[in-house]
Amino acid sequence: MHISEGILSAPVLITGAALTAAVVGYSLKKMEYKEVPKVAILSSVFFVASLIHVPVGPSSVHLILNGIIGVLLGWSAFPAILVALVLQGVLFQFGGITTLGVNTFNMALPAIICFYLLNRGVRSENNFIALMLAFVCGFLAVLLSGIMVAAALVFTREPFMQVAKLVLIAHLPVMILEGVLTVFCIGFLRKVRPEILNV
Amino acid sequence: MKNKPYLILIFIFLITIMMDVSVFAHKVNIFTYVEGDKVYTESYFNDGKKCIDSKIEVFDNQGNILLEGLTDEEGMFSFEIPSEDVIDGDLKVVLTASMGHRAEYIIRADELRDVAELIEEKLEEPVTVLSPEVSSFDLKEIRSLIEDALDEKLKPIMGEMREIKKSQEDRISPTEIIGGIGYIIGIFGIIAYFLSRKR
Repeated sequence: MHISEGILSAPVLITGAALTAAVVGYSLKKMEYKEVPKVAILSSVFFVASLIHVPVGPSSVHLILNGIIGVLLGWSAFPAILVALVLQGVLFQFGGITTLGVNTFNMALPAIICFYLLNRGVRSENNFIALMLAFVCGFLAVLLSGIMVAAALVFTREPFMQVAKLVLIAHLPVMILEGVLTVFCIGFLRKVRPEILNV
Repeated sequence: MKNKPYLILIFIFLITIMMDVSVFAHKVNIFTYVEGDKVYTESYFNDGKKCIDSKIEVFDNQGNILLEGLTDEEGMFSFEIPSEDVIDGDLKVVLTASMGHRAEYIIRADELRDVAELIEEKLEEPVTVLSPEVSSFDLKEIRSLIEDALDEKLKPIMGEMREIKKSQEDRISPTEIIGGIGYIIGIFGIIAYFLSRKR
């Protein structure tokens, strides 16, 4: 759900840019040297994941993976997603440059929200609960991103209910698919390297 | 390395994705060509899906809107070339598809001019420069026969050229993906350097 150039109004773009700049600044200060390889890898994952298309009705949507990225990175999800978006914009003209702030915020904020809501849950002793919450994480992250994209479009011009419905319905397959992917990722990590999740 | 299985998981994921060579960025494209006295536009997403019921707007080179409409189920929208008094240079065709996708195409003035001249000639009064034996109606007929024959012959060639142009646009090569990942690693490497100096 990368928003292209020329769609959004200036106030929306500026707000998005300011918010993203602030949060990225904060998360860079908070970032630890040891976690940088993890951030870089997840940024690459995000970069490549947007190339996977899920055809839906008249248009097509793509994977976002901000759920798993949020749970694994916390606040560092912001710079990870920002860097990936910059490169997608510059190399593939995917999304826009003026829209970097808004797009980053739309995709990274749900990531950090899911982190705070579900981080302890996916670390729980009970395997079943952890995996259920992993599904919720993947699902919810895309859902929130969809709502934020709709909000950004609404503050520009279009009537809200119609746009919101369209975005959310189109991304429903992505939500489910990402929920499942998150379950697999979390399941794998719990078995093999549980300490990864204890960030 | 402590995090090895985790890294392996992520890299397998990345490599599996890159195996799919025909990856497209999530963009929308509009392709325009002039035929007869009409301009035909074809709108489609990068993965091939057509844009249905999407808004098309045509602007002159001053930015004034000349006309607008919606694409049909084939993603096509056509319009007659506005007369020369109205257009004064290039035309800009803008496609706005759902969920924040947008694309532009500029039709150069000389593409339009050739056709405009043809139209003007069709509207002219018969010229009586020639001797009375060869009536000017015959000449007009011959000319229109030639035009029709050329249109027929050129149609498949134009179609081929359109296909070639379409397929060349915006395909993302694995090279670019690897390049992008390289940049991501590089950027975070620089961040890691600065973080390590601070600690």
